[in-house]
Amino acid sequence: MLKYLINRLFWMVPLLVGISLISFLIMHLAPGDITATEASFNPKTSEESRQKLRELYNLDKPVIVQYGLWLKRMSTLDFGHSFASHQSPVFWQETDKEGNVTKGMIQEALPITLLINVLSLILIIGLALPLGVISALTQNKLPDRSITIFVFIGFAIPSFWLALMLMYWTGVSNNWLPISGLHTLGAEKLSAFAQLLDTLKHLTLPILISGLTGLAGISLFVRNGMLDVLHQDYITTARAKGLPENTVVYKHALRNALLPLITIFGLSIPGLIGGSVIAESIFAIPGMGKLFYDAVLMRDFPVIMGILTIGSALTLIGNLLADLAYAWADPRVRKGVSQ
Amino acid sequence: MVNQPKSMMKQLNRLIGISITILLISCGQQKNDPTANVNQPYPSQSGGALVDAMSGEPSGLIAMMAGESSASAIASNIFNSLLKYDKNLELTGELAQSWDVSSDQKTITFHLKPNLKWADGHALTSDDVLFTWKTVTDDKTRSPYGADYKLVKKAEAPNPSTFKVTYEAPYAPALDSWSGLHILPKHLLQGQDINNTSFSRNPVGSHYYQLDQWKKGESITLKRNPKGTQGQAKIDRLISRIIPDRAAQFLELMADNIDSMSLNSIQYARIFPARPDLTAKIAQYKELGNSYTYLGFNLKRKPFDDVRVRQAINYAIDKQEIIDGVLLGLGLPVASPYKPGTRWSNPKLQPYPYDPQKAIALLKEAGFEDHDHDGILDKDGKPLSFEILTNQNKEREMSAVLVQRRLKEIGIDVKIRVVEWATFISRFIKTGDFNVVLLGWGLGLEPDQFNIWHSSQQAPGQFNFIGYHNTHVDQLLEAGRLELNPDKRMKIYHEFAEVLLADSPVVYLFAGYGLPAINKRVNGIDDPAPPAGIGHNSYEWYIPAPLRRNEMSAE
Amino acid sequence: MMAIFAPCIAPYDPDAINVKNILLSPSSMHLMGTDGLGRDVYSRMLFGARISLLVGIVAVGIAAIIGIVLGAIAGFYRGWVDTVIMRIVDIMLSIPTFFLILAVIAFLTPSIWNIMIVIGLTSWMGVTRLVRAEFMSLRNREFVLASQTLGAKDSRLIFKQLLPNSLTPIIVSSVLGIASAVLVESGLSFLGLGVQAPQASWGNILTDGKEYIEFAWWLSMFPGLAILITVMGYNLLGEGLRDALDPRTSNNK
Repeated sequence: MLKYLINRLFWMVPLLVGISLISFLIMHLAPGDITATEASFNPKTSEESRQKLRELYNLDKPVIVQYGLWLKRMSTLDFGHSFASHQSPVFWQETDKEGNVTKGMIQEALPITLLINVLSLILIIGLALPLGVISALTQNKLPDRSITIFVFIGFAIPSFWLALMLMYWTGVSNNWLPISGLHTLGAEKLSAFAQLLDTLKHLTLPILISGLTGLAGISLFVRNGMLDVLHQDYITTARAKGLPENTVVYKHALRNALLPLITIFGLSIPGLIGGSVIAESIFAIPGMGKLFYDAVLMRDFPVIMGILTIGSALTLIGNLLADLAYAWADPRVRKGVSQ
Repeated sequence: MVNQPKSMMKQLNRLIGISITILLISCGQQKNDPTANVNQPYPSQSGGALVDAMSGEPSGLIAMMAGESSASAIASNIFNSLLKYDKNLELTGELAQSWDVSSDQKTITFHLKPNLKWADGHALTSDDVLFTWKTVTDDKTRSPYGADYKLVKKAEAPNPSTFKVTYEAPYAPALDSWSGLHILPKHLLQGQDINNTSFSRNPVGSHYYQLDQWKKGESITLKRNPKGTQGQAKIDRLISRIIPDRAAQFLELMADNIDSMSLNSIQYARIFPARPDLTAKIAQYKELGNSYTYLGFNLKRKPFDDVRVRQAINYAIDKQEIIDGVLLGLGLPVASPYKPGTRWSNPKLQPYPYDPQKAIALLKEAGFEDHDHDGILDKDGKPLSFEILTNQNKEREMSAVLVQRRLKEIGIDVKIRVVEWATFISRFIKTGDFNVVLLGWGLGLEPDQFNIWHSSQQAPGQFNFIGYHNTHVDQLLEAGRLELNPDKRMKIYHEFAEVLLADSPVVYLFAGYGLPAINKRVNGIDDPAPPAGIGHNSYEWYIPAPLRRNEMSAE
Repeated sequence: MMAIFAPCIAPYDPDAINVKNILLSPSSMHLMGTDGLGRDVYSRMLFGARISLLVGIVAVGIAAIIGIVLGAIAGFYRGWVDTVIMRIVDIMLSIPTFFLILAVIAFLTPSIWNIMIVIGLTSWMGVTRLVRAEFMSLRNREFVLASQTLGAKDSRLIFKQLLPNSLTPIIVSSVLGIASAVLVESGLSFLGLGVQAPQASWGNILTDGKEYIEFAWWLSMFPGLAILITVMGYNLLGEGLRDALDPRTSNNK
């Protein structure tokens, strides 16, 4: 087991380098750079200043050299500064000599995205588990069919359309929820609890919209897993032994059906930091999705690379954890690995 | 058997139900007083907050560094320049109370108003102006706007209330350039690296407002600056919320969460008139913008080097149809590259009328006829077919579609390609690899257009990317830069526009109206808008006490 | 179905602009109303159907071809070829798909072909894994080993025996892939990177209508519903196929 772990960890470094190289190359395939996007079409601006900017950011050097420079900085975990937003560090905050702190861009965007994604995941699991179980237990009967249809509607509906309709219904026609943004104006004057509630209200629709897509996949997964398991011999045995149905379903069937779910979790870890660009644009939430999208349009290379690197690192770690957890949870795999 | 999981489901349902009810009960948002009457007159008074929306977030508030429109919009409330434009678009003093131009027209002396102060109490003097000039012209400053100021041979601050600049040669656009330079405080910025200073996120200015709070990604709040050099604004606070999506902005406007937004033509002309509930609380305004949209030809490529082809295309396009269709009538046709109604716009010029017959005749002269009867004009066996490139902008896309249709009617085959901005600039414009573009110019109030039309400005990255070369125009542009007398200048630029119209290197499509919608709680807005737009006296706008929004208070 | 016959049944030319008819609500003249330039929405929806579905099918086709080829090689030959291919799959999976699509589309001009290619190029990983898994399990079955001892060439084995038996998961995932390609196209349209004007696609009709969601509801309702029904349909089809073709679950009632 330990050997396996070390082997995987060892492979992560070259993989990360490979991923970052590919990302870097793809990024540079794009025509244009930051000098083409910033104030570029104002006739009052001059080309020489753009040229100077290019030199300053090393954009005039060959791509491989630029990659090398980036890699060198990354080896000291220096993510660099954003091109578009001149002083902001890409990842973590910096303090200048007067004690002024500038927060890092990822540092500010990540918590919000994480919050939404985690809550969304909780919502999905909270709904998908019971829905999947019910579906499995009432296979092909009305509850199963209607749940399937409901869940698929959630998946199939274009998210921005649903978002706008909900925003209109809850925010304009009825005054239930705020429409966009993260906080109500002046919210900082409220008590801590009221602020929390305010933020949650603002996040309700985004969480709902983010969760709806994943709901279909997970509940279907639970359903199919349960179905597989319920028809196994050991379940029939348990029933024959006279165990109450509850115990059969929950203690035995569910637990085994959930094993593959662990893999899904591992695989969804990288998704946690990827905010949905669409949801964030519509709801005016300054998260990772918007950050990445803006960076791509502005050709803000340090930010793009920063996000992709963190994303890939998390994916690799997530995969590893998922495999490990699965191995630990399933005795069959555990034995096989340690051989 | 099947009941057990259902009971769990029931419990879950109950839990969800309870949480939602809690959320909903714990107050819908506090709504503003619906009984207050917006239509009665109120006396001018101080106080209140104005909330508006912006699509993007500024990267900083030092305008010479941050180029985006959101940055300059907010920075303009914080900083002063030496000069400004008044409601009739005439130059007048802001920090300067007067200025003299020397008889050789190379030196301008500005006399500052007395007792100017920064928001932190420090005195504002010509030292600050000199410092600002040094900063913007410094080679180490990463600002793209330095060109105008680098033409100053010598800048002096002989005493605290006088600032004097001397140019190599008379430079007419100079005065306009001084209306666009935000003066920065020397006592706070000296010794700092302007490219990286935290001042950009925490500025100290001298105008009506100062920065109160900047919540990254969410909003920027400005509060009244009691030491403002131009006086006191009436509204206490200006809050700009960052809402990237226009559909979301409109919903917020309808829900009374923001006070102002700029509408598109359909919202202005179709939605509002059909919604009495909206027109009851929100007022619509119309102001002519400073930009025009055009179809530009690559003059270095055939057949666009033939003036008859260009004119033919000009005749073939029905510009009123574009204004009616794309802007729902909320725009004006243009015949010179200037804002209609200003002195620089030549009133004698008329745009090319819609005349497809003339277009066909001109093309025939140029050798284009439908020789093979396939519906498309051709010459020497090659069909007249090209691609119109434009960027991702709804108005331009729709205009392109209309242009395509009209050109098709006279036998020109046009394809439309919409390209993302950065790619557009670097892959097509800079390399000169295009046939026709549909773009717009957002211009200032200074008539000099040397950078756009002079034949020396055709290098990659410069603005004469269509490749226009006309010696007469070159001479006029050069003369315009040297002539400081406004009336003589006007004649020069009128002639310039006339030559341009005859040459038709571009087809002017329209100048659109800006369509701000502002909640009726905001009083004091000039309607109809003067040439400078409704914003010219925004510091005089006020929100009567009964109409102000409810603010959050600690409970 | 209607998509194929669009040119015949569409009552109007989808590009026919009529400036006098801007934003009319549904009527007998225009079943689904008109859009911002006076074009008939119903006709645009029909033509848009072709585009949206075409994008889905071609994208999935590309993904399937790449996936089958790579998966087959990996599953059949094992060894270092397998490791390399799977590492590449890992790398591609590490980059969040939508981000990748976004980045590449923003760089290339968003023409229909580019969209199809890019969606295809970013969704082949799933197919690869499936095909590889099938091949690995089938490879050691008797009938394959038997053919091998008889001296059958590798390519024959792959094409005649392994591939036909692996079709089930490929078909299922392809059907599901079409559905998600349609959704991705509508997402890209929202960001301005989908099918471009003047061509109609459900995604861009929906995006055009998003600012008038309660005023000109027809501009968003019809494409929204169309996407909803289509995607749901394909998903249900895919799940149904999976249930029907999978020998394990077909034992259940």
